[in-house]
Amino acid sequence: MSSDRPTACAYTDYVLGDGHEEFPKTGEDSTGVERRVWEALYEVEDPEMPISVVDLGLIYDVRVEEIDEKTHATVTMTLTYTGCPARSMLKDDIRGAAASAEGVDSAEVRLVWSPEWTLEMVTEAGKADLREFGLSI
Amino acid sequence: MTPLEELLFRLADDEYVIAERYTEWQIYAPTIESDLALANIAQDEFGHARLWYDVLEERGYEEKDLLWERDPEDFRHSTLCELAFEEGDWADPVVRSYLYDTAERLRLEALVDSSEPAIAGRVGKLLSEENYHREHAQSWLERLAEGNESHHRVQAALDRLFPHALSIFEPGEQEKEIVSQGLRTESLDDLREEWFEITIPYLESLGLSVPEPEEVARPDARGRDGSHTADWFDLHESFTATYHELGFDQPTRLRGEGA
Repeated sequence: MSSDRPTACAYTDYVLGDGHEEFPKTGEDSTGVERRVWEALYEVEDPEMPISVVDLGLIYDVRVEEIDEKTHATVTMTLTYTGCPARSMLKDDIRGAAASAEGVDSAEVRLVWSPEWTLEMVTEAGKADLREFGLSI
Repeated sequence: MTPLEELLFRLADDEYVIAERYTEWQIYAPTIESDLALANIAQDEFGHARLWYDVLEERGYEEKDLLWERDPEDFRHSTLCELAFEEGDWADPVVRSYLYDTAERLRLEALVDSSEPAIAGRVGKLLSEENYHREHAQSWLERLAEGNESHHRVQAALDRLFPHALSIFEPGEQEKEIVSQGLRTESLDDLREEWFEITIPYLESLGLSVPEPEEVARPDARGRDGSHTADWFDLHESFTATYHELGFDQPTRLRGEGA
């Protein structure tokens, strides 16, 4: 663990990795209920830093579908670190936020580990938030 | 047990059990930095165990069946992971971590192109978190190998641990299928050879003498078939004690978790 930088989450490596063309995902082209889910997710902050989980690049996909006349949202996400102590809390906050979006009846969260999260997954707005917070990225 | 399940239990149990042992060093490691480093390595390995157990949960296993209510004879980890530490002997976790983490990198690399997407999709992230485990072990090994008493301790730890480390590569019942189905793209025999090619010259370069793999006395317990040393049964009892004492019929949940 590197300790010479003022990292709030000591478990996260704030290093640049290979970028992925279609990431970070922010739902900017989404519409309707999907758009509202993305907006709700923007309100969820990382438990340690003042940055939205969307800007941090944790959200990989939002899918909304009708199942038995109910609207179900599936959020696909990752975490910065496999041993993240906030894993359950974050998943639960994100599921709750997705379920709270207008027009959504139920929500679930799928956790994936590929592509790997790196600093490249953070949006420009997110990088500004992290710099403001004191991270040198 | 299917070949996929056997492979996952080997991976998950190794990580879980070695992490459980590493935590015993918390507040006892020789320096504050090494204390934090080993605690952090333990947390990584717990995280990696969880990723593998997750795959088993996706296939119908429940957490209580994977850990808290599972018979100790059903665990499939290498005996290297379970051995109790010699009291206060820092050479032990250093040598153990070096032997284990070198093997771990090789086996993770042999999973990068796994035919099982749930495995292939996790390996990259795990590998990215493994490098400093070896760096930590090697920097301590090199330091300890230079001293007099510490050199003897490292040699003693190596003599004690090496036969158990060989059980990392002990095949299980489904080994042939694991390879033929492409779940792992290299055989355990090949991984073991690669591990020898890395570890033996390195350890010898530190002035250590490495036991002859084919001649060294192997313990009866091989781990992979459910046979374990007495240390494992003590450890299992201690990490499941609270669960049983409190009479949970389900693993407890944090506030709001899974709500």
